[in-house]
Amino acid sequence: MATYDFIFSSLGLEEWCSSSHSDAPMSMAALLAKAKGGEVEQSLWDLPFPSMDALNESCAAFPQSRELTKGLEQGFLAIKDSLSVVLDPITQPLSWALDGTLYTMVTTPWWIVIPVLLALVFFVTKSWKHVFFVAISFIGLAFIDYYVYAMQTLAIIFVCAFLCVLLGIPIGIGMARSDLMQRLTIPVLDMLQTLPPFVYLIPLIFLFSVTESKLYGIAIILYAIVPVIRLTNLGIRLVDEDVIEAADAFGMTPRQKLFKVQIPLALPNIMAGVNQTIMMSLAMVVIASLVSAPGLGVLVLRGIRSLELGVGLVSGLGIVILAVILDRVTKASLARINATQKQ
Amino acid sequence: MPRTAKISIKSLYKIFGPTPEAALEYVKQGMGKTELLEAQNHVLALQDINVDINDGEITVIMGLSGSGKSTLIRHLNRLIEPTAGEIHFGDEDILSYNEAELRTLRRERMSMVFQKFALLPHRTVLENAGMALDVRGFKTRDFEDEAKKWLGRVGLEGNENLFPHQLSGGMQQRVGIARALVSNAPVMLMDEAFSALDPLIRSDMQDLLLELQGELRKTIVFITHDLDESLKLADHLVILKDGVVIQQGDPQNILLNPNDPYIIDFISDINRARVLRVRSVMVEPTSDDVSYAGDLLETDNLETVLSKSDGDVSLVYQVIRNDEQVGELHMKDLTRALVPVPASEERNNYSN
Repeated sequence: MATYDFIFSSLGLEEWCSSSHSDAPMSMAALLAKAKGGEVEQSLWDLPFPSMDALNESCAAFPQSRELTKGLEQGFLAIKDSLSVVLDPITQPLSWALDGTLYTMVTTPWWIVIPVLLALVFFVTKSWKHVFFVAISFIGLAFIDYYVYAMQTLAIIFVCAFLCVLLGIPIGIGMARSDLMQRLTIPVLDMLQTLPPFVYLIPLIFLFSVTESKLYGIAIILYAIVPVIRLTNLGIRLVDEDVIEAADAFGMTPRQKLFKVQIPLALPNIMAGVNQTIMMSLAMVVIASLVSAPGLGVLVLRGIRSLELGVGLVSGLGIVILAVILDRVTKASLARINATQKQ
Repeated sequence: MPRTAKISIKSLYKIFGPTPEAALEYVKQGMGKTELLEAQNHVLALQDINVDINDGEITVIMGLSGSGKSTLIRHLNRLIEPTAGEIHFGDEDILSYNEAELRTLRRERMSMVFQKFALLPHRTVLENAGMALDVRGFKTRDFEDEAKKWLGRVGLEGNENLFPHQLSGGMQQRVGIARALVSNAPVMLMDEAFSALDPLIRSDMQDLLLELQGELRKTIVFITHDLDESLKLADHLVILKDGVVIQQGDPQNILLNPNDPYIIDFISDINRARVLRVRSVMVEPTSDDVSYAGDLLETDNLETVLSKSDGDVSLVYQVIRNDEQVGELHMKDLTRALVPVPASEERNNYSN
């Protein structure tokens, strides 16, 4: 006899209880109890919480808690195939983009890639100081033979951050224009932001094969897209109401208002979001090396797995250098936008 | 000049709150603003407004903050929708406009100048001035000449390529005025346009507006909380208090015959000699044998006359308009007109 027998007997459910057995495997505690045999008098002190397992002891038909996780797993596996049919073609371009960019950046000779990147830095910052700093960093990384890894990491960040911006800004605009959409989107963003990054790797591993690059691509995008959405929404909502009123008073259509007033005035905030998105992609690209993302993260992982202290530290330092470069360059371009936008 | 109403507002009501229609019934049954707020939790912003805005005149709507004047002006281009009432523009009913017609009205027939300037910070002065034309689909090079012309007219030549934040407040508002003029709309709505400026600049801007108006003859609706400003600019003055029009008409007439203690409070502080004009105190020419001490224009203010007469109350002046005599001014009448209206008791109690 178990503690909660009285519940089932008072409800007249004994018949239902004995009719079937929960098919979950027996728990360790149950096994031990069975091995010991015999009834033990229970004091109030040992009263178990009426959990699924405790109720199962009284009534064999009542499911055990491990059946919950098992059921979830089976349910997921059951829909997995049909989900893949839909998701695979949609996400396939991501694999192509990642593989293509990785291939291009790694196989193009260093004496083309580095100058092109420096030209890009000059184009967005218009500052020789930044170009010089980035040049020194790349030369340093290349000199210690981390060039290929650094380029792989950069290639993944470029693709993922670009897609985050491409998807995130329209979502943010939609949120700014509709309160309903904002109410529906914010819980999803909160969840994406609080979920530990390892957690979304779990379903992704089941859905896609670990050899496909879209697996880590999706993980990075899900993790990094949040700030650009939030700040686009915030930026547009913060646009000076007087200016919006003036736009209305001069007869702007909603579309004109969006492109001529709201987006230009929200640009500093949107760019701050892009900066955060890039930094978060960098953070995730390291974790994503667990699921075969190439780059500096692989070396960090090697440092941990085979206790190669030097490799781990140097590649960690390489990530810091990339982070500083990306941060400085995006902030410098943000400052350039801000300079033309003083109120 | 015949006065024709360009815009007429008829029994306009505006109530803010979740169910304004229901609250409107209470108001029509005579519930006041405070009771409505307490009992129904609705704000009565405008109550039974009837105003005709005449073509080619400056109509000034004056009231303190919270009197509903900014709400009222926003009804004219429907930035705010009324709860009840009618607004006619010429012989068209503005409230029946659909979205496209409303947009055309805002683009081509009504321009607006704002208290906080509301310029686009990321556009140059030239692009800001041409905003109305830009909205209609013109490219910068198409409206460049027009925008430059009006920027020059408001005294901003040479600043076309600066950004608004590089200009002072007064200059930014000049851009705001140029923007309204470039749209070439016959009606200009000015919402406390000069209130954010310091007094000297404000006075300059008032002069600029009067000078432009002398030439352009636009229909201007001007909102202000400043009595001196309203007396300087107004052809027609509407005084609002707590969402109700308490007096409207010729400003000189309001000054001489205030019909409400609230207005008396207002006007007890002002320099009457500077505001009152000869035409308000002159009388019909009585006889031919009076010897006139000199000629006055009917638009001269009494301060000018006082300094001309050197304070001599026995003099009589001839008043002329377009070289013809239209009346005469006795200095005795002038002195009488300058007797200040005492502020009401309540007000005196406050100040003690």
